[in-house]
Amino acid sequence: MTQTTDLADALLLRRMARGDEDAFAEVYRQKHPAIYRFALHMTGNPAMAEDVTQEVFMALIRDPKRFDPARGTLGGFLFGVARNHLRKRWEQDRRLVAFDGDPDDLRENASVVGSFQRGASGNGAHGNGNGHGSFATATSWDEFTSVETIGRVRRAVATLPENYRVVVVLCELEELSYEEAASALRCPVGTVRSRLHRARAMLVEKLREAHSVGRASAVSE
Amino acid sequence: MNDEVKFMDCVRFEKIVHDLERPGTEGFAFREDALAHAESCSHCAPLMTGAESLDAALRALAASNREQQAPPRVGTALIEKFRRQRAASSRRRVQRQIVALSAAAAILLALGFSLYRRTTSGPGVAPVTNVTEKISAPPVASPTVVPEASPVTAAAESLQQNQILASQSEDSAYATTFVPLPYADDPSALDDGAVVRVEMPRAALASFGLPVAAMESDGTVRADLIVSADGTPQAIRLVSQDNSSRSF
Repeated sequence: MTQTTDLADALLLRRMARGDEDAFAEVYRQKHPAIYRFALHMTGNPAMAEDVTQEVFMALIRDPKRFDPARGTLGGFLFGVARNHLRKRWEQDRRLVAFDGDPDDLRENASVVGSFQRGASGNGAHGNGNGHGSFATATSWDEFTSVETIGRVRRAVATLPENYRVVVVLCELEELSYEEAASALRCPVGTVRSRLHRARAMLVEKLREAHSVGRASAVSE
Repeated sequence: MNDEVKFMDCVRFEKIVHDLERPGTEGFAFREDALAHAESCSHCAPLMTGAESLDAALRALAASNREQQAPPRVGTALIEKFRRQRAASSRRRVQRQIVALSAAAAILLALGFSLYRRTTSGPGVAPVTNVTEKISAPPVASPTVVPEASPVTAAAESLQQNQILASQSEDSAYATTFVPLPYADDPSALDDGAVVRVEMPRAALASFGLPVAAMESDGTVRADLIVSADGTPQAIRLVSQDNSSRSF
């Protein structure tokens, strides 16, 4: 995020606070896709992603001065608001709470994260102990971009514990820097870094196992 | 970059392997060293492959979602809410302005009224002071006609109330209320009769039918008499400078 973008965002927000509808429309146009995608990745539920997107921008409409440019970017602020809304939703509806504890319990929790996420491998950091390993030997870009593989990755991300999933979505899928993610999550940069490393190790393991299961089923057929 | 940082071992490799493609990180800075290490280390080579595969998978997932966005109805609803919020804010602003203007107007009115009262009551204070002076130093033993400004009604009660107010406004002199004399036969004199201040022996009060038994008979008292057109006293009140003469 450049300083020019930050300045433009600040100007847009100032205009918006004065009641400029065009400014709000511009802010929404620029920022809402990322917020919607973030909510969608976090919930796997398009309807809830819509609701969260709406709530995030309603919060901005109600009090645009809540955003403090000194504390981070507008995008980071909106991601933070979105995450808070998601957490409130999850508290209200425990059925949608993904795993948020010991990775070894992932298998038990994978069944309650919603239909979108069903079918995921549901495994935690089992395997070689450090979570690393090759799940795609001799792979090509075509294989990665196949619908099946993308679905597998999506499910693997969806079954990560929330604290890990959020950093993967922000830093990997939305390409935020560690600093921006830390600002959005209101935690130290080091926490983001360590969580992302741990999350990636878990993803590698999940995908490796899913890849093995996929191959085995293909052979049996 | 010192030698310690340059040195790449498996521990260090595992620490940075997920940052090799992330600009601004330590992993990105030592990417070449990490790649060289992975080529020569059988333990780290699969880690490198796994990280690269994951990067590719996540990039593919991100690319597949890049065009996703909320349906247009969300934006439309938000714009509508923005308009409503703006209208409500505007109404609140107008209400605040009205309240502020009302408060300012009320303050100005109060100030203006206060100034008006001060201006109009200023000249009126002087005569009171003069009257007080006159009352405090009347000619002794000679009747003095004091212009009586306060209108009295025919009813003695209202007359008394007015006189009480008049007496309260005087600082240096004390006066009782006008008491109709027992033989008073002209009630209209209470309205338009002349007020005459006299100094008389205390014993003379008995000639007006007032009870003086409990009082000392010697000495003089100062009194105001309301005199009718034919010179007959109709009512009396006592005037004194000290508290001891305030009562009959």
